[in-house]
Amino acid sequence: MSEARDVIRPGARLRADPGAMRGYVRADGRKGIRNFVVVAYLVECAHHVARKIAAPFEEQGVQLIGFPGCYPSAYGHDMLEALCTHPNVGAVLLVSLGCEEFRRSALRDAIAASGRPVRLMVIQEEGGTASTVAAGRAFVAAELRAAAAAPTTPLTFGDLVIGTKCGGSDGLSGVTANPAVGAAFDRLVDAGATLMFEETCELIGCEEHIAGRAATPELGAEIIAAVKKADRYYRDLGHGSFGGGNIKHGLSTIEEKSLGAYAKSGSRTISGLLKPGVRAPHPGLYLLDTVNDGPVRYGIPNINDNQTVTEMVASGAQMIVFTTGAGSVVGQAIAPVIKVVSNSRVFQRLADDMDINAGTIADGAETIADVGERILGRVIETASGTPTRSEALGHQEFVLTYKTYEPLGPACLPI
Amino acid sequence: MSQVQTQVTMEQVANMVVLTAGDNVGIAVRDIAANETARATEGGGIAAIEAIPQGHKIALAPVAAGDAIIRFSVPVGIATAAIPTGALVHIHNVRSRYLDNVEDHYE
Repeated sequence: MSEARDVIRPGARLRADPGAMRGYVRADGRKGIRNFVVVAYLVECAHHVARKIAAPFEEQGVQLIGFPGCYPSAYGHDMLEALCTHPNVGAVLLVSLGCEEFRRSALRDAIAASGRPVRLMVIQEEGGTASTVAAGRAFVAAELRAAAAAPTTPLTFGDLVIGTKCGGSDGLSGVTANPAVGAAFDRLVDAGATLMFEETCELIGCEEHIAGRAATPELGAEIIAAVKKADRYYRDLGHGSFGGGNIKHGLSTIEEKSLGAYAKSGSRTISGLLKPGVRAPHPGLYLLDTVNDGPVRYGIPNINDNQTVTEMVASGAQMIVFTTGAGSVVGQAIAPVIKVVSNSRVFQRLADDMDINAGTIADGAETIADVGERILGRVIETASGTPTRSEALGHQEFVLTYKTYEPLGPACLPI
Repeated sequence: MSQVQTQVTMEQVANMVVLTAGDNVGIAVRDIAANETARATEGGGIAAIEAIPQGHKIALAPVAAGDAIIRFSVPVGIATAAIPTGALVHIHNVRSRYLDNVEDHYE
């Protein structure tokens, strides 16, 4: 089905070749665009040991992730399981201190059941830091050799799951970079890919318009409820996702920022509302609800941009298209991040960190559609194995903290 | 390209976008100086009565206190003071309909 809908071909504006996209087939049928070995700590007390294990292999495709808390968290467990069985992950080393409450055996068993090599090391049983580091490095070295030899298979757009996120937005983000991502997303939805946008707290003020694009009126009502939940949550918290950097660059209110952020989603029908760790059942465009359910708990839901990126990855995103105005430099541990900057001034200052300059739209040199095609080209190249700028610079940002979610409502995935 | 041609081109190039006809603000796509003409892609221009930095908003018509600021046909805030045509539209004369979170407004 997806092949028949692959309408994107190289042309005058699109110089990348979709035929070059290749990935790694996993036992569940999903395909990864990378074959990373993950080292995951199960409590902050095991973080140092995990980092020591990963450090010599940092430039060789080993990624460090983990959950810092000691108290039990269904969310933390589900997220780590989703991340350790993510299609971009080929093998996993779990590092436990031993006395934390994380259900480490259950996580190990779930990873093993996914067909991936996995080893669970418990520092208190391995003889301490030095012996755990030595044994962990031996496991990682062996898995890296296996990962390098793994076969690849051609990918179609139907195999791709792509998330979008913005960070450090300015007054041009909503005029250049975000609409250009929206143009690329429209093309990818039409080609049969799965796309997601997120951060309901940064859609406040746009909820009626978003609901109007929902596949069913019931889904529209769920979307409005999710955005109102975000508004209420942040009101109770006395805090919002709008700050000094936004104001400095010309945004006056959260709803003005929202309007710009919303432009990343393009114009196609919204097929469903997801929560972190829940994957889209079919190709299409989805909204990911990244705000806690229930009363204010655990403080700020998303303490920085990296947490919601982690959540999109847990919902299956193999790569992230990240727009910035002020010039965020972040990447992500498991999914390559393509960075699109809204203005030529910051592009020139941070050229090494930026994949795409959308400032050409403000300069009058390119149209939104032109930049959308360049973003699409970079998506294809990234799915063909070419490192993004943040990958080349070794970025591995990763944030996971406590949250609480209730199950999705029945109207959230209507198709 | 000769120097003369370059100057002509620069004068014709828009320095402002108006996202939807009917919006009461435009957005500077490059820095606009006080007394410079803010020029939209579709043509037409208004004089900026103060500097409008890149990415910031300029009033295209007088906005009364309490009126909505309309960008891309969507209300993105409420004017807290009368805003004359050509003035900078920002946090000193606009408030959110949603969150105020003034504690965030640091450099």
